[in-house]
Amino acid sequence: MPAPAVAACPAVEFHDVTVAYGRRPVLWNIDLVIQAPGLFGILGPNGAGKSTLLKAALGLVPLAGGRITLFGRPLAEVRRRIGYVPQRETVDWDFPVNVMDVVLMGTYAGLGWFRRPGAAERERARAALERVGLADLADRQIGRLSGGQQQRVFLARALAQNADLYFLDEPMAGVDARSQERIFRVLDDLRREGRLVVVVHHDLRSAADWFDGAALVDMRLVAAGPAAAVLTPENLRRTYAGHIDVLDELGRAVERGGRTA
Amino acid sequence: MTAFMGIPYNTLVVAAAVAAVGFAAGVVGCFGVLRRRALAGDAASHATLAGVVAAFLVTGRRDLPTLLAGAFVAAVASLGCLVLIRRSTRTRDDAATALVLSVSFGVGIALLSGLSARGIPGAGGLEQFLLGHTAALTAADAVTLAVVSLVVVLVVCAGLKEATLVSFDPAFAAASGWPVGLIDYALVALVAAMVVAGLPAAGAVLVTALVVIPPVAARQWTDRVPTMLVLAGAIGCAAALGGVVASALVPRLATGPTIVLVAAALFVVSACFAPERGWLARCVRPER
Repeated sequence: MPAPAVAACPAVEFHDVTVAYGRRPVLWNIDLVIQAPGLFGILGPNGAGKSTLLKAALGLVPLAGGRITLFGRPLAEVRRRIGYVPQRETVDWDFPVNVMDVVLMGTYAGLGWFRRPGAAERERARAALERVGLADLADRQIGRLSGGQQQRVFLARALAQNADLYFLDEPMAGVDARSQERIFRVLDDLRREGRLVVVVHHDLRSAADWFDGAALVDMRLVAAGPAAAVLTPENLRRTYAGHIDVLDELGRAVERGGRTA
Repeated sequence: MTAFMGIPYNTLVVAAAVAAVGFAAGVVGCFGVLRRRALAGDAASHATLAGVVAAFLVTGRRDLPTLLAGAFVAAVASLGCLVLIRRSTRTRDDAATALVLSVSFGVGIALLSGLSARGIPGAGGLEQFLLGHTAALTAADAVTLAVVSLVVVLVVCAGLKEATLVSFDPAFAAASGWPVGLIDYALVALVAAMVVAGLPAAGAVLVTALVVIPPVAARQWTDRVPTMLVLAGAIGCAAALGGVVASALVPRLATGPTIVLVAAALFVVSACFAPERGWLARCVRPER
């Protein structure tokens, strides 16, 4: 649980953040405040800069302008309280490590230079695997897992980080329904424990069901706040304007969003 | 102590040292291969020839430590050029690598032929760095190479956790606060060190084989990084020893090609007969 003094500060604060790759801006003047605890979705069309938003918060891309604070502090001071689940395709799943090896990587930052994980770290990793339902696959090579299992390994690694604030990049992409349900349940538990979980998500249909807060992004911030207030037909139309392919999905999402509200 | 079972003492020391070089090269090479930097090592190895000749021209000395210091500087400089070209000209990785490789090797060959054309005294023998020739090594040289190999292996063992993390998932490593750039540079420097240490045995053209073939062969047999390191070391060791023995038996035979051939044979065996990933296993069990 976060200490009360820290909890008073918003867990995530973007002040007028602009990010550019080379000369091409990907995010413009983002002002965003997210309070802990919560399960917060970042939604928007492809190429809207959703992942870049996460990477900016994690210090993985340089800011062209503005600043970001986490728990009221610069990232470097609170790094150990941050957990991260990168997109699944960013790593080589044929890499010679097994499930346990990957989950143990979540304990490395706490160990520091040159110290190897011991019994305590293994215990933490095993508990994390238990939580995502993969305890019996600890010794399996990661290439021999399904997409959903691979995603749950990444989630278990983040759980082993034992963070107060989690950033997940597209954790439901290419994931079977059963894994999706399992992942959402774990994320929901994290919220109940008082943590903040920020998720880049592409599926509008499930968004209103799971997230209590949401932001719609299309290079600029279109809307942010409680999910029910953000995922309105008007906001979605503004975010996805020109993205014909999602109009159908949009219709269903709006219908669903109305029910949840 | 001049001979053991009829083998000259010097030959024994050189063989042991080259075996150590083969082991260490196989071990660090694993991270070059896993990080998908195998070709960068190739560029660096071709650049070492220019470093060897330049070191001789600048210092006028031709003792092994001086020449290899020059080779290391050239290897690091070529990798620096590689990064610079990629960042400043939007040239793709493979093209940039090919560019650095051919240019730096061209410089080395030009220096070498310029040297022999003018008949500069003492320059003879530098061309042995092209294909490798262990017969010329002294026991003192061999000890130097063995010490470098030992240090490199110890550093890799110490930083195994960090190296594995950065090779597997650099973004996660960076997000959890590890200096990914620094660890990457350290790994590249270690590979460069072994490319240079392998130079007398395998030569500038073929020394990359020592840091690439053993890891690739070892990968066939195992799904764990630590096991892969040990196996790659053993395969590198066997290849290096094979090269030394062959060139000790056959006068004037260059060591480098023999080392590469032994390594390649071990790779073929691994690719065919490894239990899970091998060609035979996949024929029998086609579901994977």
